[in-house]
Amino acid sequence: MGSPVETAVTAPAAAIAGCGALCANGPGLEPLLRAVASNSTALRPRECLIGKTSRPIVAGFVPDECVSQLQAADPEHADSRAFLFAVAALNQAAHDAAAILDSIPAARRGLVLSTTKANIEALDKLVRRQSVSSVAQRHIQPAFLAADLARRLDCRGPAQCVSAACISGVSALQQGAALIRRGQADAVFVAGVDLISQFVLAGFDSLKSLDPDGCRPFDKARAGLSLGEGAAAIVLVKRGLLSPPSIFLSGWSTSNDANHLTGPSRDGSGLALAIQRALAKAQIAPDKIDYINAHGTGTPYNDSMELLALRSVFGDRVPPFSSAKGIFGHTLGAAGILETVLCVLALRNNVLPGTPRLREPDPLAPDSLLREPRAATHLYCVLKINCGFGGSNAALVLQRTLP
Amino acid sequence: MNDFVIHAASYLGPEGFGNDQTGLRAWPPPLQENLSRIQLGGLHWSLLSESDPSRFLRMDLMCRLGFMAAELLGANFDAMTPARRERLGVCVESFTGSLDTDIRFALAPRPTLFAYTLPSTVVGELCIRFRLKGPMLSLVSPDAHGANALGEAVEWLRDDDAEMALCLGIEAMNLSTAESIPLPKNLSPRSWHGAALLLGRSDNSPREKPLPAGALVDICRTLSGANQFLNPPGSKTSKR
Repeated sequence: MGSPVETAVTAPAAAIAGCGALCANGPGLEPLLRAVASNSTALRPRECLIGKTSRPIVAGFVPDECVSQLQAADPEHADSRAFLFAVAALNQAAHDAAAILDSIPAARRGLVLSTTKANIEALDKLVRRQSVSSVAQRHIQPAFLAADLARRLDCRGPAQCVSAACISGVSALQQGAALIRRGQADAVFVAGVDLISQFVLAGFDSLKSLDPDGCRPFDKARAGLSLGEGAAAIVLVKRGLLSPPSIFLSGWSTSNDANHLTGPSRDGSGLALAIQRALAKAQIAPDKIDYINAHGTGTPYNDSMELLALRSVFGDRVPPFSSAKGIFGHTLGAAGILETVLCVLALRNNVLPGTPRLREPDPLAPDSLLREPRAATHLYCVLKINCGFGGSNAALVLQRTLP
Repeated sequence: MNDFVIHAASYLGPEGFGNDQTGLRAWPPPLQENLSRIQLGGLHWSLLSESDPSRFLRMDLMCRLGFMAAELLGANFDAMTPARRERLGVCVESFTGSLDTDIRFALAPRPTLFAYTLPSTVVGELCIRFRLKGPMLSLVSPDAHGANALGEAVEWLRDDDAEMALCLGIEAMNLSTAESIPLPKNLSPRSWHGAALLLGRSDNSPREKPLPAGALVDICRTLSGANQFLNPPGSKTSKR
């Protein structure tokens, strides 16, 4: 089991000063925590246009009333939902971290955006010759979206955008931590955002990746993923700026399967490599991990690959693990950050999240697969993993200190 | 920084292609004549390599440019041990990203095209081609000139996360794609180029004569200079 003190001194670290989220569960951290406690899902069917036909899709849509409120509050950006979502999450995170951010000048604040398709629905509209504001068009480009978010948050330090498929979020957190570690910033806003759009639906539908009944991660009868949309944000600061207790990023890594563009490797070796490297960077042994938040999309191949990778690294002692995709869907570029926010909530509240929508576990899954949430008696080290197109894998180690 | 060297550097763009040993060589006449005719398949591929052209022909423009830039380095990745390839990272930086393919997919969705609607797909293609399993990063930057990717690659080496790093700067936009929808020109630069650097420690060069570390500055200037091709003189502008 993990320890609050063993790795605190030598491991590379950036501390988490604040979090924010907006997803199918609504705005803020409270709805997320309630969803974890009740093991409930926010996935709902909605009639969607895919190609030229309309049909019900089960996914994690941001509630319409949330969107309306954000649009009313910022009419200039009303048709750039990506910008509105990201700003909402960033403002929450800034509020959560207000005490420490006030002491950090704007020039020492950076921003790293994580997204796969930014405000892609504007491109959908342009192709259909529909009216699109210049701002919404500008935010088709992830780089401009990142620059505008940095301006809105008054971050005058480095502004970057990571776009690396479904590992974008964890990769962006690694970039944020690296900027702090290198002394390029004292605080970094790391935000992830992606939308459910005709573009994205058409893509995953063409690959036959969507489960028509909604995703069932690590289920014996799983049949595909459910998309989600939204944004999440984490404020990272130099660890010395926060007084304990604190949660910090102590290890991270990425790797590539070098196997297939859209399918994971069959043996899980690439993901295992990323996990081993992250543990090494955090300077902790595998048996110190108390909980793993898996990628767990619900596609047959991904979940099988993850189970093999976990067995490979942890042997017969796989720590308790679960997937959050059944709560809010697969939010793509936001996933790594939204699910890391969930890990932070777990660490703050001593709870091990369950796996909503899981009915009958895959027989190959270790017994430590969490179907239901449960109170944790010892929760200090958490591993977050994500995998994505292009054979990409990412792992992140979060640790909590004692007061 | 002095602990690391540039093992190899390559470039390809409208005016030609080459590496630090060969210098810049002109494209065959069909490509020189008209920048709008970007057909980086068949003929041009055969100039560079005979390996797996069918896979190359399935790629989008961004991946083809990254693939060719990496091939142009002249580094013998195939001769590296698996352990060494696990320690070779790949980092790409771009402004345009996958926009060219995004537009084509939005106009006519196809499953084979969807995988290429990500700026990071080129990293996946290179890792498959050269069986690389090291760290990876894909950055989309408003001021993309490769400097962020280069900085990250150096950090990987410094932190011992990798022992070598393949670093790419790519811009890929077919003129015909850019003009197929009414997108402002600053969002869809009509240009294409690819540049690659292979960085590593001085004692592990896959080529006989690595560049000295001091050459890094010149290479950065070259990458920065590549931005001038974003709006090349005489290029067509959007009709809308």
